[in-house]
Amino acid sequence: MPPIISVRHLHKRFKILQRRPGLGGALVNLMAPRYSEVSAVEDVSFELDEGEVVGYLGPNGAGKSTTIKVLTGLLVPTSGEVRINGKVPWLERERYVREIGAIFGYRSTLWWDLPVIDSLELLQPMYGIPAERFRSNLREFSHLLDLDAFLNTPVRSLSLGQRMRADLCAALLHEPHLLFLDEPTIGLDVVAKEHIRQFILHINRQRGVTVLLTTHDLADVERLCERVMILDRGRLLFDGSLTTLNHRFESTWTLHVDFDAEYDDVSLPGLDPPFRQGLHAEYHFDHRQVTSAELITRLLERFRIRDLEVRRPPLEETIRRIYREKLLIN
Amino acid sequence: MRRQFSLYLRLISIQLRSQMQFRASFWTDVMTTGLLNFSYFFSTYLVLQRFGSIAGWTIAEMAFLYGMIEISFGAMDMIFSGFDPDSFSRFIRQGLLDQVLLRPVSVAVQVFGSAFVLRRLGRITQGALVLAFALINLPVHWTPLKLGLLPVMWVSQIMAMGALFMVGSTLTFWTVQRVEAINILTYGGVEVMSYPMTIYPRWMRGFFTYLIPFIFLNYYPALFILGKPDPLGLPAFTPFLAPLVGGAMLFLASRFWRLGLSHYQSTGT
Amino acid sequence: MRLFLHLVKLSILEQATYRTALVAGLATNFFWGLFRAAVIVALYNGRSEVNGLTLEGAITYIAVGQAMIAFLSLFGTFELMATVYSGSIASDLIRPTPLFFLWMARDLGHSLVNLVIRGVLLLGVFALFYPIALPETPLGWGWTALSLIIGWLVSYAWRFLVNLAAFWTPDARGIGRGAFALSQLASGFIIPLRLYPEWFSHLCYLTPFPAMFNTGMEVFLGALSGGQLVRALGVQLIWFLGLVLLSQWILRAGIRRLVIQGG
Repeated sequence: MPPIISVRHLHKRFKILQRRPGLGGALVNLMAPRYSEVSAVEDVSFELDEGEVVGYLGPNGAGKSTTIKVLTGLLVPTSGEVRINGKVPWLERERYVREIGAIFGYRSTLWWDLPVIDSLELLQPMYGIPAERFRSNLREFSHLLDLDAFLNTPVRSLSLGQRMRADLCAALLHEPHLLFLDEPTIGLDVVAKEHIRQFILHINRQRGVTVLLTTHDLADVERLCERVMILDRGRLLFDGSLTTLNHRFESTWTLHVDFDAEYDDVSLPGLDPPFRQGLHAEYHFDHRQVTSAELITRLLERFRIRDLEVRRPPLEETIRRIYREKLLIN
Repeated sequence: MRRQFSLYLRLISIQLRSQMQFRASFWTDVMTTGLLNFSYFFSTYLVLQRFGSIAGWTIAEMAFLYGMIEISFGAMDMIFSGFDPDSFSRFIRQGLLDQVLLRPVSVAVQVFGSAFVLRRLGRITQGALVLAFALINLPVHWTPLKLGLLPVMWVSQIMAMGALFMVGSTLTFWTVQRVEAINILTYGGVEVMSYPMTIYPRWMRGFFTYLIPFIFLNYYPALFILGKPDPLGLPAFTPFLAPLVGGAMLFLASRFWRLGLSHYQSTGT
Repeated sequence: MRLFLHLVKLSILEQATYRTALVAGLATNFFWGLFRAAVIVALYNGRSEVNGLTLEGAITYIAVGQAMIAFLSLFGTFELMATVYSGSIASDLIRPTPLFFLWMARDLGHSLVNLVIRGVLLLGVFALFYPIALPETPLGWGWTALSLIIGWLVSYAWRFLVNLAAFWTPDARGIGRGAFALSQLASGFIIPLRLYPEWFSHLCYLTPFPAMFNTGMEVFLGALSGGQLVRALGVQLIWFLGLVLLSQWILRAGIRRLVIQGG
């Protein structure tokens, strides 16, 4: 089966006008403008198969939103090939857009002044959704997303969480096979985020919708994505499974130990001295060099232990390290 | 094509519904708009009491010019509300065009459907009343041709001024801020066309003949309908050029619009 | 007083940054000036004088009108009512300076910038196309300046008053539009009042509006002299004071209403 998304050597460069200060500068600008070039996306290639849920990560300004805009047909790239559902997004905009759903976290896709239900009903003739399919989808999504409470409220009066749920419903009513989510959980509280994630999982599993999502919340990634792509300064630095990512970079684990008796020295050879507080100690170790099982065995040989726990660093921290230490630039 | 049109109607009906909600203030708005616009004609009317005529045009003939263009402009302002450069530039600045691009409908249809300011009915009504005054007081020898020319004039004028609106909006794809200068052609244009073209200095008249061909939209057809001689000696078919001029302007404007849209998609403000 | 001047200065600086708007405004005014001048010439149709107004005087009137429109804010201002609607008027009301003067300072700053850029500049460019009649004596200039200043005050007081409608209705914008259309017409901005039929100009003189512009122009063109001149200026002043008193009274009522509503 051919991949549903195919991106090859995508480049997007922007020309930024250099502003010269002062009135004289403004005049000169009008006659002889000077531009500097900024590369937002640099030689990005990837493929997505149907049914995948992929996270697209990167620090701010990495080019994530630019990529999504190209993939949704909003932006024309400087060069490169993009084929989605067999179409080139920006060339066949109207036909292409009918087959995808898109949500931008910071802006609603619904009509601001209308009640939610009016907005949703407008989508039926727009996308040409057959009446009964529309009704049944609407019923299902309203139920899953708990929209009934505010179906008659104008979109501008909704809370962020409500708006996001309404947007999700709107994006899926026409049963697209592909869903683009740009920061879908931004600004939401923990409970709301969980609801959104569950919904995304549901439509992926029940309806086989392929999902590409950009997010800053790594809990989203952990919950939803088996595969992640990491972008930094326009370049794709990593494209693989979450486990690979964890394995490759998340090296320092922590072993938390509660001792049964007071010991003077609980350090282990070959390891950094542990952090101690009363009967509690924390050992940091590189799990690629020594497994937690080994470590536990060694500890049990020497000390009487009441309780232990192995903690892996959160994805958050790993990713932060990757950005900070530029671990992927090789 | 038909689907796009029926979608347009749906979008418009939503606009209409929300505007009609606040009944009382809506009607006062319509009235105020009407009175406001009428005050300009009223001042002309008063002045002509003292002067009798301007460039050989009596008050009733002036009223004809004024009434015709006011009806058209009011209608254009209503239909092309979405393309009003002031509101469109705000639209672009707020990044609302992206959500339009995500829908499987042509952008132009969505922009047309995004606004329909009913308040402009005030302008249309006062124009119609002034026109009625003109027709009552004018000794026009009506023929089917002349009668047919009236709606043709309106449509041509709507197309031409709508084209200017569209151009003004398209410019914001590049400038982001609204281009105030376009108001000279739109709001200024209405006033220019409500007077006989012969009062303007040659260079100005030339501008309105060769650059922005206003002269063919109201003045020349009016000459024909009112049976007035042509002081500029142009060919006899000139009064009938209006639809061609209006159509050509709208066509060029739509091309420019497409250019602007593709520019927006390359630079993605 | 010092606060007043300071606010004026701030307002000047703010307005001066709107460069593109000023240029666009200049272009617009220039066009309208040419257009209206053409209408006047056509109206006169060879007559050298109508009702005491010469052709040159009428054209000057139009040109100065366009030059002054921004200075006098003849199309109206809606900022004060916006602060009532947004609630930010509360912070202004707390200040020791009366609201009337606060806004006057802001308005004056904007007006001064417009006077220089859109006013003087426009007149200069216009003079290249049409003959402009300027006051002939320094005294003439003096009286003109005085009359225009009082005219500005009258215009300001009227705009302040109109904006106060916001205390009573959410539709103050619509009311404002209507009110400003009326003042535009009756101030002689569209057509010099002398060119209207007598009954209409007499009607206008019952309102404060001619004091905003028409009177100033008559002084400018030297159409008034001696006792007439002084009387005209006096009338302007009286209108100004009347409007001030009225606006203060209405403002107090408006504030009371605001407080009761708990806006």
